This record gives sequence, structure tokens and C-alpha cells, in this order.
Amino acid sequence: MTATVAALDATAVFEVFVNGLAKASLYAMMALGLTLIFGLLGVLNFAHGSLTMLGAYVAGLVMVTFSGGGTAAFAWFFLAAVVAAVLVGGVGAAMEVGLIRKLYDRPPVYQILLTFGVTLVIDELARIVVLFYGVQPRADWRAALSTKPPVMGQSVDVLGASVGNLQLFQIAWGVLTVAAVWAFLNRTRYGLVVRAGSEDDEMAAALGVDVRRVFTVVFALGAALAGFAGALLMWDSVWGASVPLASETLLPAFVVVIVGGLGSFRGTVVAALLVGMVDAVMTYVFNQGIVTFSGLPELTVFLILVGVLVVRPQGISGLAEVGGH
Amino acid sequence: MVAFFGVYPLIYSFLGGVAEFEAFLPQTETMIAVFYFGLFAMSFDFISGYTGYLSFGHAAFYGAGGYFVVLVASGKIPLLPAGTPFMVSLLLAGVLAALLAVVIGSVSFRLSGVYFAMITLGFAQVLYVLMRDWDYLGSNPRDGVSVSNSLHPEGFEIGVPFVDALNFAIGPLRGDELDLLFLDLGATEVSYYMVGLVVLVCYLAMQRMVHSPFGRVLVAIRENEERARAVGYDTFRYKLAAFAASGFFAGIAGGLFAGYRRSVTPDNSLYFLVSGDALLASIIGGFGTLAGPLYGRLFDRSIREFLSKTGGGGGLLPLLRDYVPAGVLETPILNGMTVGQGIETFLNGHAALYLGVVFVMFVLYVPGGLLGALRDRLGGTVAKQLPAYLARFKR
Repeated sequence: MTATVAALDATAVFEVFVNGLAKASLYAMMALGLTLIFGLLGVLNFAHGSLTMLGAYVAGLVMVTFSGGGTAAFAWFFLAAVVAAVLVGGVGAAMEVGLIRKLYDRPPVYQILLTFGVTLVIDELARIVVLFYGVQPRADWRAALSTKPPVMGQSVDVLGASVGNLQLFQIAWGVLTVAAVWAFLNRTRYGLVVRAGSEDDEMAAALGVDVRRVFTVVFALGAALAGFAGALLMWDSVWGASVPLASETLLPAFVVVIVGGLGSFRGTVVAALLVGMVDAVMTYVFNQGIVTFSGLPELTVFLILVGVLVVRPQGISGLAEVGGH
Repeated sequence: MVAFFGVYPLIYSFLGGVAEFEAFLPQTETMIAVFYFGLFAMSFDFISGYTGYLSFGHAAFYGAGGYFVVLVASGKIPLLPAGTPFMVSLLLAGVLAALLAVVIGSVSFRLSGVYFAMITLGFAQVLYVLMRDWDYLGSNPRDGVSVSNSLHPEGFEIGVPFVDALNFAIGPLRGDELDLLFLDLGATEVSYYMVGLVVLVCYLAMQRMVHSPFGRVLVAIRENEERARAVGYDTFRYKLAAFAASGFFAGIAGGLFAGYRRSVTPDNSLYFLVSGDALLASIIGGFGTLAGPLYGRLFDRSIREFLSKTGGGGGLLPLLRDYVPAGVLETPILNGMTVGQGIETFLNGHAALYLGVVFVMFVLYVPGGLLGALRDRLGGTVAKQLPAYLARFKR
């Protein structure tokens, strides 16, 4: 008991806070593309996790092939993330044009079904490629993990607490991405067109907007964000690059998006913070041995989902009725 | 159709010796899996196909039933000794799952559409994490729990409780064998018939419900819930009752599965992808047709077995190995990969890929599924119209 009380000082609280921020940043990255696609197109994309997994592999492949480690790894990482985003975004665009476009006037359940089928295909293709090239003898791809520059494994002292460099990097990356997406939607001309197209597609079409192309662009953008998230997850020892990553990231992404209110950009960010913080606190509680139930962090994440839906069915800042288009 | 399933093991054992047939026909063991999972898929379709509420956490009830049966058999449930007859624990498993459904449903039915799917998923995942990490279940709950051989050496008995003469044990490579008139049935065939019998009874019960006024109300809710409410139905109660009934049958299905396999793990009973498999079966077989999911599952399992890794019970792989000449197999096609390697790469246990493609095609082009499309073509339920349709060819 004394050990527990002694550990609960300001330093520990600060460490938990930073861990929570880093986790929140990862969750936000996983959920951002999902919420974008749902908010603007009304499609709940079940294949989002698979796209994240593709991103992790593509980025990992670029890193393993080209990067020699060291400080230059940062530049390569940036390139790898962009390559992942572009490729996965392309897959997303192809999905929208080839499959999802045919389903806009059917009940939303059919879009869930279709994207669920797409996950099966993507996951199995990934598994075939991974097996064929012998990339992965282990569950998570160590080769991609080890392209992390050594600096990332170290930690710095901030206010007497030791904070991992990787966590700081994740926070910075997450904040930048969120800011960039926000700026795109609210500060650029094309963002305005996108929002108009999702608000009232007939009116936007009447005003001369090519709505079909806008939808494709939005879907590609959402998919690209999934690829971007995958690139970041590839370095994290908890996640890594693996085929099961698809369903492992899909579930937290759903939780974040639903808790935040489906389709609400601000809600997603708030929910990611909430889920990340609770996850970090529960991990701390478990690590301190206060509760011995090892599933505690994961359990609380899903309890948040259930609790929020019971109290506030539309999520933290969602609208009562999400229209789609 | 009942007759077809009734004679299937005999047909299989008759044709099984011939490699060409063996490749295409699913094994009797596989058919048992089709039965219990088909029942689960039916119960999923009972709620999702008939009321239009996508219950994405349906695995919770399947897993609850499975875990309950195994835990009773291990003596880990208070008040229920390890020797409780299987049928009693199976019924109790159904009741437990139904109660669970009432609890989850009373919260979830305040929501609709995507939100409903997500909250049921959330509940199921809570249960999944709990059972995966709860150390009461065993030293390593991640690997699931199983029935010890010392407590139940011969497997579980399906039949009327306390009437010994009517009980037959089920279980792979265990269970009873039976000599009846001129037929001698192995353990597998006995299991097949006993599991099939339970599934048949459940199917008939669900069939009765669907075609009763109660079932009509469910369809009314699916087509237009506001109108159903305006007509005067308390839709919330109807939905809850349907959810409880669906949970009951899902629990039975889970119990059968656990009883036949003698073990249950979190990943094959409670994980959300198990609900996904039921969804797959329902869509392929026909969403909103009760028997459809069974055929959907049969289709699913047959393809999986046809493309299975080892070619156990026949399949495409051994057939190709036997028939394609060696010269062709060694022809390089791409990047030094030979045809043989290509076949191994793309066919070796990757049935999910092809199933996914088939699934997408069904969603896009055959939204009614196998049975639904057939029904549209015949202009009525298959059971009623098919004989009339066939009669036309007899003249």
C-alpha cells in the first residue's frame, strides 16, 4: 500500500499525462480518416483498419529497403509516410469508384457489409504477400520496428519526469496531422467545396461542383489518413506492422469515432484525448498492481463506448441525426 | 431438404472413396460445424434480417452459451454439478443468453442503425475482454477452457434428460456408435444426427415464430418502424422480445458448438469476427430468409474445405497435385515463380480471399442472397413454390 501512495506524486502524474497524450495522438490518427469519410459521405468504412495495416506495411517496406537508420531515418520516415498515404489513398479512391459508388442510394447497412467484404479481401491478399515473400516469421514485423532511429528509444527529462522521445514524436505528429486536416477543411477553398458537397449534394451539383469527384477525393483522403496512421504505428512496439493490425486498430478507431459523435471532427479529437487518457491511467493502475486484471485498459476503452452511448446516444458532440447525403 | 440432410452422411460414405467426389463434397465433420454455426447464423438473421437492426455483437450470446456449457461441465458454476445432463445445461445456456440479450437489448434498442450495431459490438467486446483475461477460468484464459477427459470421458449426451435409452453422446472421435437395422453409424454420424436434430427443432421453433403475427410485426418494424408504432404496436417490446429469442437460439448454438468440440476459446466464440462470419453466411444465403444462413454457411464451409490447406477431406489442392502434369507445374510464369508455386501460394488455405470476393459480389449484385434470389424468381417462399415449379417440367 505504501508503494502505491509513494508512486502517486506529481512526477508520476505527469508521466501518465504524457503517455495519455501519446496514446490519444495514436487513437486520433487511427480515427481521423474514418470520421472524415463518415462525416462527409455517410459511409461507415469497415475496411479502415485494413487500410491502416496496408499503410504500416508500405511504410515499413520503404524504411527497411532504403533507410540505413541514424538521423537520416527521420527524412526517410517522412518520405515513407507520404508514400504510404499516397498508395493507400489510391486504394481508397479505387474502392470508392469501383464499389462504394454503386451503393449510395441503398440503406447504410449495405455499405457496412460491402466494406466488411473488402476487409476480407485486403487482409487475405496481405497475408498471401507476407507469406510468399517470407516477410514475417513473427507476429509483428521486427524489421520495420528496428528502423526506428536510436534517439527514439531514449528519453528526456522534463520537469523531473522521464519522457520517451517516441511519445513526444507521436504527439507532435498527431497534433500536426489534426491541424492540417482542420486547416484543409476550414481554411481552403477545396475544403469548402467538400463541405458543401456533403451538406447538400444536389445544391452543390447545381452550383457547378463535380460532386462525384469530390466524394472520390474525400474517400481517398480518408484512406490516405489511414495509411499515414499506419506509418506511425509501425514504430510503436505495442502495435508494429502485422496483418491482425487491421482488426486491432479498427475497434479503437470505432470507439473513438462513436464516442466523439459519428462524423464530428471536433468530437473525434476530444474522444481520442478522453480514450487515450483513460487508457494511460488504467495502464498505470494495472502496472502498479492496484488491479490485477490484465485486460483492464482494453476493457475500460469499450466500457467508455457503452457508457457514452447509453448516456448520450449521439456521442460527445455529434448531431442527433447523422444524415449522410 | 430435411431428407437431403438426413441421408447426406450415407451418400458421403458411399461416394467418399472416389477422389473426384471427395474433392467437392464436404466431410460429415464439416457438416456438423455447418449445423451449429448455421443455427447461430439463423439466430443472427432472425434479429438482423427480420427487424433490420444489425446486431454486430451477436457473438456475445454464442460465446455465453458455449462458455456456460463448458463451465458447467467443469463444475465451475455454483449450484450446477459437473454431472448435469447436457440438455439441461444447454437449455440453461439458452436462457442465460436470452437474459443477457434482454439486458443488452434494453439499453441498445434506444439507438438505431449504425449506433445500434456499434453498441452491441461494444457489449460483446466487453464480454470478450472479460473472458479472455479472467483467471478464474484457468491459468491461461486466452487459450479458452475445455472439458476435462476425466469428468466426461465419453462426451456429452443429447437426448431426453434422465431417460438413458434415448441419449446419444456427441463429440469428434468420441461419442456413441450405433447399430440400427442394417445401418451401422460411426461416432461422427451419430453426432451429425443428434446435433442436426437439435438444430432442426430450433429451426422449426424459429420458423413458427417468423410466420406468426409476431413475425409479421418484426417485418413491419423493418419496413417502416414509425408506421408500425403509429398502428399501435409497442415496437420496443417487440424488438426486445425478438432479441431475447434470437439470443436464446444463439446460446443454444454456442452450447452445441462447445459440447461437440469440448472446448471454447474467446477467439472462436466471442470475438467480433465471429459475428462477422454469421453476417457472411446470412448475406450469401439470403438476408431475411430463415433457412438462408444455413445454406450460406454450407457454401462458406464448402469453399473453405475445397481450398483448405492440407486438403483434408479432399479439396482442390490434392486434386491439382494429382492431375496437373509435372511439366506444367514447373513452368515459370512470373519472377521465377512456377505454376506449382503459384497454385500453392494462391490456393493454400486462402479461402477467405475468394469468399471475400464472392461476398462483395453478393452485396453488389444479389442483395437477396441465394435463397432470396431464388424466392424472387419463383414468386414466393421456396418451400411452397419449388414443387409447383418443378411440376411444370414433368408434363
